[in-house]
Amino acid sequence: MPLVIFVDDSETALASTRMVTNSMPIEVKQYTEAQVALAEIQAGMTPDLIITDLNMPVMNGFEFLQGLREVPATKRTPCLMLTTETKAELKQQGKALGLTGWIVKPFNPAQLKQAITRVLRLPA
Amino acid sequence: MLILNSVDELLAHIKDVQSDVIALSNDSLLKMSNFIEKNNLEIDEDISTALQYQDIITQQLNASIEAIDSMKSSINRFNHAFESDESLASESLSKLQAKLTQTLQDAKDKKNRFSGKTAEHDAPSDEIEFF
Repeated sequence: MPLVIFVDDSETALASTRMVTNSMPIEVKQYTEAQVALAEIQAGMTPDLIITDLNMPVMNGFEFLQGLREVPATKRTPCLMLTTETKAELKQQGKALGLTGWIVKPFNPAQLKQAITRVLRLPA
Repeated sequence: MLILNSVDELLAHIKDVQSDVIALSNDSLLKMSNFIEKNNLEIDEDISTALQYQDIITQQLNASIEAIDSMKSSINRFNHAFESDESLASESLSKLQAKLTQTLQDAKDKKNRFSGKTAEHDAPSDEIEFF
């Protein structure tokens, strides 16, 4: 099963995404600290999709994304930003860093499911 | 200045209340989401949205706590300058006003930034944008 990792400093946000993904044919790992997720990726974890928040303490979503792109195995791994931020400048910054897409919170569960299905090319 | 000391204490109290609200709302939502998961209940869009409001509440309150910290720091700097040399009071007061105005603007910007789709303006019609 494809591995999807979620990174969000909010445990309730992670719980919300868990309720959406628990019926999907994917393996899910969740992290409240981006630096911990990045360390596991640097140690050899190879997710098929990464979904991350932007505003997080210690390491924000952009810094996490930059770190991911420096690891050969995740240089091109699809990455979605799941955030309350709606500013066009931030979306442009994410796009320049190789972000796959931008999802604004609060997300619609069906649309998040569709986005994961689309990126991972899962059977609809 | 005595009045600024009172303002400083009031700000500290507001900050404490906000921190408690963050912790309580987080605990409340986690209990609800644990119940939903434990009982394998399916959530609809409204419930999902309600659960996600917690994140927005926390970010908004944290942003206002940052504004309070900034105000407290500016007030303390003014108090220190005033105590050192009262003749500098007028100049220090202008600096304090400028700092507080900037803090208010920063806080308003963050309110807009952290509102997600609840913002009345600039919320995209399509919530998922692929690049």
